[in-house]
Amino acid sequence: MKYLSAAFLLLALLFVSCEDDEDPFTDGEVELQMNFTGDFDGRDLMVQSEAYAYPGGGQLKFQLFQYYVSDLQLVPADGGDPVILSEIELIRYASATEDNVESRTFTVPSGDYSAVRFGLGVKPALNNTDPNNFSANDPLNENEFWNANARYVFAKIEANADLEGDDIFDAPVTIHMGSDALYRTVTLSQDVSFRPGTDAELTVVADIFQAFGGNSDTYDLTVPANRRVHGGNQNVAAGVFNRLAEQFKLTR
Amino acid sequence: MRTLLGFCLLWTALGCTDPGPERLALAEPAAFASMILPDDNPTTKEGLALGRRLFFDPILSADSTVSCGTCHEPARAFADGKSLSVGLGGRTGRRNSPGLANVGYLHQTLFWDGRAADLESQALHPIADQHEMGGSWPAVISKLRRHPAYGPAFLDAFALDELRQLNPDHVGKALAQFQRSLISADSKYDRVVRGDAAYTESEALGAAIFFDLGDQPEEIKWFGRIPTGECAHCHTAPHFTNQRFFNNGLDEQLDVAAFRDKGRGAVTGSKYDNGLFKVPGLRNVALTGPYMHDGRMATLAAVVDHYDRGGHYAENRSANVMPLLLTGRQKTALVDFLHTLTDTSFVNNPDHRPLNSK
Repeated sequence: MKYLSAAFLLLALLFVSCEDDEDPFTDGEVELQMNFTGDFDGRDLMVQSEAYAYPGGGQLKFQLFQYYVSDLQLVPADGGDPVILSEIELIRYASATEDNVESRTFTVPSGDYSAVRFGLGVKPALNNTDPNNFSANDPLNENEFWNANARYVFAKIEANADLEGDDIFDAPVTIHMGSDALYRTVTLSQDVSFRPGTDAELTVVADIFQAFGGNSDTYDLTVPANRRVHGGNQNVAAGVFNRLAEQFKLTR
Repeated sequence: MRTLLGFCLLWTALGCTDPGPERLALAEPAAFASMILPDDNPTTKEGLALGRRLFFDPILSADSTVSCGTCHEPARAFADGKSLSVGLGGRTGRRNSPGLANVGYLHQTLFWDGRAADLESQALHPIADQHEMGGSWPAVISKLRRHPAYGPAFLDAFALDELRQLNPDHVGKALAQFQRSLISADSKYDRVVRGDAAYTESEALGAAIFFDLGDQPEEIKWFGRIPTGECAHCHTAPHFTNQRFFNNGLDEQLDVAAFRDKGRGAVTGSKYDNGLFKVPGLRNVALTGPYMHDGRMATLAAVVDHYDRGGHYAENRSANVMPLLLTGRQKTALVDFLHTLTDTSFVNNPDHRPLNSK
């Protein structure tokens, strides 16, 4: 009888281990594709390959545009608890061989939502943690920190500028922004309904030109101190960062 | 029922007879994010020993004269001291041999141009490269299968049933296991970070320039106002590389399509990636010269001079490469700081040397 019990146990174990994984989706869920698009003055942001006219006669070729997104979430229309999609994402455009769209896919409850909300930057609770506490391939381990004692660079814009109109892009523009004080919450309101069986897709658009003040309040790149903004001149960075936070748009 | 019972007991017994290769947990420093190990190539006692033996054995080259260790010497932090690597028959390669300290932590791409996705596939390239080991894989595999020690070692390391199963992937996996064990975490820099040592004044100034600590004008430091070195944008601690690709201004080029060594561009096919090379890690950098992808700079002082000048123009030169305006003392300090990345316990580690030299 003892051996019979052992055999039964082994068979049960075998059966359980061979069972198919359950379908992760239920009838009440949809797959949402969140796109993050990078633009410059309404044009697709193409790294290095495109030159973008800048007010005042210059032009820019971009090498990098990136920003951290914390607590990406959907806000339910009925005022219920938000649906957290991701605690941290790094949205990066740095390759001449890729387009200007970064996509993430999330499984979310079907229903009515009124907004997408996220923190621009690394939220304080994460910004004060050692990057090496995270997996080597975590967004927080993408080597985007100031130094061993100070934490993350929330957003970067890097480009080379042609300021003389001679097609020589010899004026580096490197703007790095980030500190707990700069962290901003962005809410993009739009009523959307996700029904099971339908495509769910939302696009967050970021336009660097608007972060640079657009045509009306243009950031002056002829000033050398404005072209190199790193740790020490975060008061200058604050202007660009705040405009970056204010310019996001949400489309379907 | 008895038949069923017998089957179950036999199944259980079989599961206990062959434990396979013995898993090893590498002693990783707490200061590093854990190494990412591929599911199909965990580090094992047998695999690591086999990889170590293969790494230093010229059997992998066409005429049994060149091993991985020929261009990656332990005493030089696994570089070779030459501008360009020299392979079979004295043939000069295209690129400088990089050091291998902490290479297991570089999980994105490998080689100066990033043409290998991981250590397993990287290890396969030099063996068949005519400028390096000049071999052919069928010949190498045939030699290994016939070898009285390697044959059984491969069977043990990868739980193979027979030598016919041995293929290049197993060679790559064994070499990758050895390279993942090449961990450097006890340089003076590490000891300072841990609070177990202190920089000299010059080293501290160099660290401040390297990490742009002078870029905080609201709080004047002991060193006064100093320029920023802009180094750590790309050479980010703890491995001193962000694993990405940049044009660091080595050659003036008005037309990016005309770069002689296209570097990353040869892999991606985009002319805008021409002249871009992978940021090397700087651990033990004082031991790994000459420097740059083609070894054109003999000393660290020459490297610092290059970056101080801001490099040469190309429209895809990194925006973070710009004139620094360092004084002579500041340049010396930067070099002194780079010397603090030397880890003598790493280069003298007997486990990193050929078995017969231990």
